[in-house]
Amino acid sequence: MNILIVDDSRIIRNVVKNVLEEIGISNENIFDAPDGNAALEIIDNNSIDMLLVDWNMPNLNGLDLVRILRGRDSYKKTPIIMITSEAARYNIMEAIKAGVTDYVVKPVAGVVLKKKLSPFLK
Amino acid sequence: MNVKYINPFITATQNVFQEFVGISLTPGKPSIYMPQEDANKFDVSGIIGLAGEVVGVVVISLPKIPALKVTSKLVGKEVKIFDDFVTDAVGEIVNIIAGNVKKDMEEFKIVISLPSIVKGNGHTLSWISGVPVIKIPFASEYGDFFVFVSLKDILGI
Repeated sequence: MNILIVDDSRIIRNVVKNVLEEIGISNENIFDAPDGNAALEIIDNNSIDMLLVDWNMPNLNGLDLVRILRGRDSYKKTPIIMITSEAARYNIMEAIKAGVTDYVVKPVAGVVLKKKLSPFLK
Repeated sequence: MNVKYINPFITATQNVFQEFVGISLTPGKPSIYMPQEDANKFDVSGIIGLAGEVVGVVVISLPKIPALKVTSKLVGKEVKIFDDFVTDAVGEIVNIIAGNVKKDMEEFKIVISLPSIVKGNGHTLSWISGVPVIKIPFASEYGDFFVFVSLKDILGI
């Protein structure tokens, strides 16, 4: 299972990567990108089975990335979990409308993230 | 001062340090900030602009030691110089503070900017004239630092 982490913070990418490795995802199956444009390049060249996406990023933000992917037949049903600091209810509603599968508000503890990810890893 | 709009920043800051960094903070009493009082105290500041139905800014300013200790904790190894990891850490912390505050201030439909970072030994920040700035001190095992909140028209000052 290939998982793509999209976040402009290298620290967050590493934190999420560590969580994925702790739940058994091999390093070679973990991809990461600092913004939406870089994510699209990876997606165009690899088969990605799940995305963990930040909202606020330079160039192409996470919400627009989700909208682009949901417009592609091959990514209509791919699990996309948004991991963001945006905690307002109207943000959550906007993200759901854009097509996210689940929504996690930062700061998120590793144990909480593992619980959120587990249904999609079976 | 309308503490209704300051408390969310205190809570969000405590929350991000507890959950993300893994340390507890003790907040001090918020006060109206006089920029000259803290000249030369800060070495890195993370800044997020707030727009929507309120306009303002939230800033976290740290001296060198707490900034390096926080970054080291997040990176998982000792960081001794002000490198990109420090920029990343301070930017992400202020980003999470600003994003979390929105939950308690939904009526303002706040939109947050990407973070900007100012680095420099003893740097100072300039503030918009006529818009009050509230200084919130925090004490931690890594040292003391400050969060500044400046919101146009709603702080009751």
